[in-house]
Amino acid sequence: MEASVQEATKGFSRRAAEELSLRRGEPDWVREMRLSAWDTYEAIPMPKRTDEEWRRTDIRRVPIDDVVPFTELRDKAGSRQDLPARVLSALSTGVEDSGLNVQVDSSPVYTEVQPGISEQGVIFTDLQSALEHYPDLVRTYLFGAVPVDDNKFAALNAAFWSGGTFLYVPSGVEIEVPFRNVVYNETPGASVFSHTLVVAEDEASVVLVDHWSSAEGEDLSLSCNVIEVHVGEAAQVRYIQLQDWGRNMWSFNTQKAHCAQDAQVNFLNVALGGKFSRSNIAGILNGAGSLAEMLGIYFADENQHIDHLTRQEHVSPYATSDLLIKGALKDRSRTVYSGLIKVHPHAQRTDAYQSNRNLVLSRNARADTIPNLEIGANDVRCTHGATVSQVEEEYIFYLMSRGITRTEAIKLIVDGFFDEVIERVPVEEVQEFVREAIARKIGL
Amino acid sequence: MSDTPLFQVENLHAGIEGEEILKGVDLTINRGEIHALMGPNGSGKSTLAYIVAGHPNYEVFEGRVLYKGENVLEMGADERAQLGMFLAFQYPTTIPGVSMANFLRLAVNSVRGEDDGEGGKKRIAPREFRRMLREKMQMLNIDESFATRYLNEGFSGGEKKRAEILQMAMLEPEFAIMDETVSGLDIDALRTVSEGVNKLYDGTMAMLLITHYQRLLNHIKPHYVHVMLEGRIVQSGGPELAEELEAKGYEQIRSELTPAG
Repeated sequence: MEASVQEATKGFSRRAAEELSLRRGEPDWVREMRLSAWDTYEAIPMPKRTDEEWRRTDIRRVPIDDVVPFTELRDKAGSRQDLPARVLSALSTGVEDSGLNVQVDSSPVYTEVQPGISEQGVIFTDLQSALEHYPDLVRTYLFGAVPVDDNKFAALNAAFWSGGTFLYVPSGVEIEVPFRNVVYNETPGASVFSHTLVVAEDEASVVLVDHWSSAEGEDLSLSCNVIEVHVGEAAQVRYIQLQDWGRNMWSFNTQKAHCAQDAQVNFLNVALGGKFSRSNIAGILNGAGSLAEMLGIYFADENQHIDHLTRQEHVSPYATSDLLIKGALKDRSRTVYSGLIKVHPHAQRTDAYQSNRNLVLSRNARADTIPNLEIGANDVRCTHGATVSQVEEEYIFYLMSRGITRTEAIKLIVDGFFDEVIERVPVEEVQEFVREAIARKIGL
Repeated sequence: MSDTPLFQVENLHAGIEGEEILKGVDLTINRGEIHALMGPNGSGKSTLAYIVAGHPNYEVFEGRVLYKGENVLEMGADERAQLGMFLAFQYPTTIPGVSMANFLRLAVNSVRGEDDGEGGKKRIAPREFRRMLREKMQMLNIDESFATRYLNEGFSGGEKKRAEILQMAMLEPEFAIMDETVSGLDIDALRTVSEGVNKLYDGTMAMLLITHYQRLLNHIKPHYVHVMLEGRIVQSGGPELAEELEAKGYEQIRSELTPAG
């Protein structure tokens, strides 16, 4: 599985998109899709600080011309044991899954589905294989939730995605044990353009845990991932993203769920790694009575820049959206949160909640938070709140007066701060992962 | 060693934001003694408690606070607690997200844990901790659900005070200051809390009960009573002093002490 980016051509171009398609042996229609996406990418200007959505995030140094757009296709792993060590360590032992899909750099290297799952009509595979085997099904949904022109980096993903994940759950099928997707950037200097497509038909129910990590290295890597979630009537999808990239990664994430009537989506986005991380996360409540729970945790340190842009879009009446994103910052890190609750004129009886809380642990760190409302209906309940605060000295003193050291006291308070989010995610191994990650970040 | 008093305050001048509140306090407490410190609001009782516990906002201008002969004023609040001192707060802090059980486990480990020989502390076994917690909660008539709730969050006044005494029961201090531990409690809660305190008093530990009201002293019998006025201990005596105070009120004491003319 050795790889190098030495000989490969750096930078993105129409020709590179075409070459990727040819090397993967894709049908013409897929290649056309990529090339048209490239045109869209070219047509959208690179974001600048003067754009409202990018006012606090500077991407002039994005290594877009320095990375290779895709790497050579790797051999498939014969079994879990053949996967890279870092991937294996991400798969905590003894944790059950309904299926596992692994992508290394731009190659799908492993897919496994537990017995009894496929028999129920569930499809879980990499997106490239899905295109080959279920072209009509994939075509129905691909770029349906996140249109190619959603933003410049979504367009770049549409032109250069590789590997990817396709999870399809037919009507009425409920799978309790999570599916797991691991994306691993093994080659510094390479791109990782994963594309996750989840389709839950009416009354289906499924959980997907997405874990991103990378080998540490000097060369900067780039990731433009897209996550599309289609939730059918009265269906439920829980999508959990554990972003744990190495510090050489520039990460762009576009994630959107479309919810039909009475559908429910539960997001948890955990942002830990990367030099730079920008996530556009949206819950689109197309159907009446639908619900989007959008939870998030971020913890920035050193010189990390972590930026979240969220959107709770109420298209139909009687829908609920509930967003709670909490972040901690230390060292010289920066975080930006900006979120919009948008209520369309017909979306009466909307119930929308949006809350972003920041805990700043160092004098040199800075958090910006900008909540926004845009309400077109008159009978709605929308609440939003944003805070940036420090650890209360009174809390620290109280804990210390019980013999707990200052560092342990701060750790306890920060754990408690995040616990409100963690305990709302009933997936034990995820809770454990997040708690450990927080402990690691605090540095005790 | 046995001659050294457990706790001593010597000529303590201290305050907050540059303002002197304690104006020369002297107090000695030996092992096994229960002292009551009484006085009107604003006389400096709570300031004394905070300074002894090590609150960072308070400053000491002069004097010493000795515990087992060691000056604790240079120590952090955590070190003081590890030495065996405890303060039951008048207004306990609410800390969201921190469960009572997690907090108590960490506190017990910090205070009781023996050195593991590598600069750390031996941890109390989880089963032993749970057994102990259950036992102490029963003793204080505290519902088991308490353990999973966040520290003081949504607790009633009585629950907060009981939670303070539960912490004291778990940490088993040798010296405890209780700042208005029963004020504001109804009679049932008062009885439970004071019974709990009486059970914890084993004859060797020492206590300083800070109270505005005589009421507490009907339930917990002090050996000594001190009266504090305007930052000084102006009178000390046996339990009868509390009754005298109840009869006369602080104003009368004040005027008796002020030289006429």
